[in-house]
Amino acid sequence: MTELERRLLALEIAVPEGPDLAPAVLARIEGRPFPWRRAAVLGIAVAAVAIAAAFAVPQARTSILRFFHLGAATVERVDTLPPAVERSKTKGLGRALPLDAAEDAVGFRLALPPLRERPEHAYVLGGELASVFLHAHGQTVLLSELRSSNELLLKKMAGDATFVEPAQVGGSPGIWIAGAPHTLTYVDRHFGYHQQAILVRGNVLIWIRGPLTLRLEGKLTRAQAVELARSIH
Amino acid sequence: MTAVVDRPLDEPELVERARRGDFRAWETIVRRYQGIAFRTAYVLSGNAADAEEAAQDGFVKAYRALGRFRRGAPLRPWLLRIVANEARNRRRSAGRRERLALRAAVEDRPGDAVPSPEAALLAREARERLLAAVERLSDDHRDVVACRYFLQLSEEETAAALGVRRGTVKSRLARALERLREELS
Repeated sequence: MTELERRLLALEIAVPEGPDLAPAVLARIEGRPFPWRRAAVLGIAVAAVAIAAAFAVPQARTSILRFFHLGAATVERVDTLPPAVERSKTKGLGRALPLDAAEDAVGFRLALPPLRERPEHAYVLGGELASVFLHAHGQTVLLSELRSSNELLLKKMAGDATFVEPAQVGGSPGIWIAGAPHTLTYVDRHFGYHQQAILVRGNVLIWIRGPLTLRLEGKLTRAQAVELARSIH
Repeated sequence: MTAVVDRPLDEPELVERARRGDFRAWETIVRRYQGIAFRTAYVLSGNAADAEEAAQDGFVKAYRALGRFRRGAPLRPWLLRIVANEARNRRRSAGRRERLALRAAVEDRPGDAVPSPEAALLAREARERLLAAVERLSDDHRDVVACRYFLQLSEEETAAALGVRRGTVKSRLARALERLREELS
């Protein structure tokens, strides 16, 4: 063996810890509806509600070209984004509550990555959506969680210049949204809009974890976001 | 009195059971090989999300192709070939290849002399130069170097993973090493 070969063998490449693939592989070969496909079917049912919500507000009357639906989130590919406001750091996230009180308010324990200390506060919107700020890869990242079965729907609208791709987080289905800014609106599934659309400039990963729909927003790459999402339990 | 011994099934038994529709047998195989499958897909794509999808799709496709798997052949190279193919397809469709990185800190091994901070920095820079030179190779040359040295696959497994003959692995490797020597000289 030459010196160059020895040096190549000694290089230690950073490889992330691999996920447990068995549950997703088994679900697919057993022919059980894999969550992603189930979500797609569910999306058809929810689409009617989302379309009604979109057309309930005149400014959002734009051509809906395609739907993606996952848990409590729906992403619409549109030709024109609706008017949207910039969000200040915490405005629009709801009330700031001590973490325990926030968990009581939403009725579930927040899934978090391994942290030295749990966040002191979480923001709660409508008693359904809880959000906390995290620090990862030198960035501030917003983590939001809500029950997939809740009435609240996270509705995103994305134009042509935004990538919307299927993703996976530890065998669970997800959606990765990156590129040009897109909008976020909290929609009540029965009564229409909750608030004005917010312009989102960061990348977003949405995925399912048990009964929850989780959303990460920040300036992370897809691999960084998936890695962080995998650590959230 | 006969003792009942619970022994792990060997690979040919697992494959036969999986072929007959025993999902649990395939689960055992997935858990046995998912580590090397993910690492192979990651080293070829440089992207954790693509690697996860490639490895998962690879295990599903391999299960569905078990009818074509030659009885008695080693399973691992066959699986790696399917997973590597998925990873390279994703890399092609993305139109890019993400760069690999060195581990943040290489632990000192027992018995190693502790290097001075200056020596450690120089060694790190040398490793980074070498990795950057590997990343500048063509896809064919880079992949063969990655399989043989980063994943430490055998020549036979490298040939299987890359879908080429062993002779092609040898010739590509020789040319890749020659190119690296030129780059680093």
